[in-house]
Amino acid sequence: MSLLRVQGLFKAFGPVRAVDSVSFEVRPGEIYGLLGPNGAGKTTSISMISGLLKPDAGEVFVAGHPFWSDPQKAKRIMGVVPQELAIYEELTGRENLEFWGRMAGLSSTAAKSRAAELLEALTLTDRAQDAVKNYSGGMKRRINLGCALLHKPQLLLLDEPTVGIDPQARLNILEFIRNLRASGTAILYTTHYLEEAETLCQRIGIIDHGRLLAEGTLKEMQDRLGGDRLFVLEADLKDSSPEAWDGFLQRFKVIQKTERQLIVAAVGDRDPSACLKDLLGLPVRIENVTLKRPSLNDVFLQLTGRELRE
Amino acid sequence: MLRVLLAKDLRRAWRNPLPLLINLLIPLVITALVGLAFGGKSDGGALGRIRFALVDEDRTILSEFLRGAANQREGGKYLDPVIMERAAALREINDNKVSAVLIIPTNFTRSYLTGKSGISLELIKNPAQSVHPAVMEELLGALVTALNAISRNLQSEFPDWQLVVEGGRDYKEISRLIERAGDKLKRAEKFINPPLVQYEKESPDNQAQDRTATNSVAAKSNATETDAKKGNPASEIFGYLLLGMAGMFLLFLASNAMTDLHRELRQRTLARYHTLHQQLAPFVAGKVVFTVVVLLLCSAILLLGGGMIFGVRWRQPMALGLMGFGYACFAAGLMAVLVALIPDERKAGALNTVIGMGLGLAGGCMFPPQALPAFLREHITPLLPSYWFVDTARNLQYSGGEVGWIIPLIKLLALSLVLLALAALLFRRLFRAGART
Repeated sequence: MSLLRVQGLFKAFGPVRAVDSVSFEVRPGEIYGLLGPNGAGKTTSISMISGLLKPDAGEVFVAGHPFWSDPQKAKRIMGVVPQELAIYEELTGRENLEFWGRMAGLSSTAAKSRAAELLEALTLTDRAQDAVKNYSGGMKRRINLGCALLHKPQLLLLDEPTVGIDPQARLNILEFIRNLRASGTAILYTTHYLEEAETLCQRIGIIDHGRLLAEGTLKEMQDRLGGDRLFVLEADLKDSSPEAWDGFLQRFKVIQKTERQLIVAAVGDRDPSACLKDLLGLPVRIENVTLKRPSLNDVFLQLTGRELRE
Repeated sequence: MLRVLLAKDLRRAWRNPLPLLINLLIPLVITALVGLAFGGKSDGGALGRIRFALVDEDRTILSEFLRGAANQREGGKYLDPVIMERAAALREINDNKVSAVLIIPTNFTRSYLTGKSGISLELIKNPAQSVHPAVMEELLGALVTALNAISRNLQSEFPDWQLVVEGGRDYKEISRLIERAGDKLKRAEKFINPPLVQYEKESPDNQAQDRTATNSVAAKSNATETDAKKGNPASEIFGYLLLGMAGMFLLFLASNAMTDLHRELRQRTLARYHTLHQQLAPFVAGKVVFTVVVLLLCSAILLLGGGMIFGVRWRQPMALGLMGFGYACFAAGLMAVLVALIPDERKAGALNTVIGMGLGLAGGCMFPPQALPAFLREHITPLLPSYWFVDTARNLQYSGGEVGWIIPLIKLLALSLVLLALAALLFRRLFRAGART
């Protein structure tokens, strides 16, 4: 059974449909990535799932129960890590953790003990007594994450938890999240970083302009493009049109075309060398052809016609 | 839960005390400045002793009598005359060493006793000072009135007195003149005692019996008398100011403490709290409790610390403390309502300042209510909680008798409850659609 099920979630701010009929589910021990550019509707979705915003339509089920029928009960098994650093800068890392532990319903002793565990796991023990305002960006992010984990939530909502930090700090946090998943926590992870979604998430939903455009595993996403390889042609394509090339669109699916570049995927299970021969025979002067594995960016490109920029 | 929230907020305030310290220092500094401008603490009374130069160019018995009277008995407590020549006196006033120069001109006595018109005493006020020269002017006015009254009533005696002044009579004649003057005064006694129109200063006993309305000026006059009786004549101006400052700046401190809720909204910590299974009410209640605690601490610092600095002895500390508690509750409730009404931090900050100043000024915190425009004084001021607090607190300090502080305290607490209930309602509405702003 899924720990989180979102069904037809809808939220509009005036004429803007921030989230438009979004549905997905997150299972125990799974990291579900909600991938999309800024303004796609990721944070609004998380806000509705965590009860910070009431949806205009749709339903959120937590552990099988409708969220709004008993929000307090749903929140007890939930941990939310907001995109902003929602911590007290004047307090120390330990004080922040202990405070949020108490707010999550732990006793003073339990909060102290759990805070010590988390400081250890987040490798912050040696800075535990320092005020958070003196922490680096990565350390603040780790405390921000830790503050949601005091009560050992079964469902964790992470809203871009690595935004704005250096690669090493990001790797540390991603490793920590993998360990959480290994312990059986269901995680909803929003990001606009492609490689995070590719390397961290078991299943991914691509969201743009409030709509969930596609979802599935990375493999399923790649398969949508017609296999596990893409051909990238570099040529002067200003006056060329693939539609005009004889039978081209029956053999290849165009992912992107610019004046200098054409990205295509082979239709069907064709031999790469045959595909290459086909491409080299096109009526344009080709300067270079490369083969690559399809990325989520290519999927996004194919779905939206735009690149998902980092 | 409330304890944890309160501990968190107090820790944060302790580690970032600057905003609170500024709001604490400002009233102390203003009190010191205003208090010192009015003479500050001295042994001679609230205004201090007025040092003035007395230039006697007449040099007669009457002018010597005036010279001597200036620093005798009560006069000596408030007046510090320095006898000198005109040129030296003018130098002193130029050097800002005296508040005024009083000149008794040549032939003043002769002109007075012969009933000439247009005779005058000359007063030169120090333009660099404001209060002491004005007091001197008032005193001189009183002296002139007295001299005129004597002149009108004892005119027939003046020729004989003139001879005395000019040394033309022996002591026997002088004693007869005094006896005659005494007889005249005795005959006039039935017309002047009891007087047809009587001015009476309210006594503490009178106040206790007939307290229909509070009156700060009357209270202050009393205080001066009571202070004098108790041998602590100096500090009431600081105490008076401190209470007013407390009335106004506690509102600013409340705004500062309560708008921490705005910071919690901005920093998303309130949103994070809202993702937990807790209800919103304890969080808001925690902030109100925090505000009340901060205000009580600040009141203690303002009134006790300020009292120690300026030598003010609070007469009814228990009642004053309870009034402070009631006012702190009101201020916290008011600011909670404002935060709930205006979630935008900057707009709220500006509005809170205006409301704090408005309540402070119209409530008589900065000026005695008698100095306010009539409409405000009669119709608005009595309705303001700042007035309930400041006026009652001042009466507690300066009225010797029993002061009715329980009713104002109940009014403050009742209003606090209403405001807190309103704030809770508004916050509920604010968060009904979710905590994201």
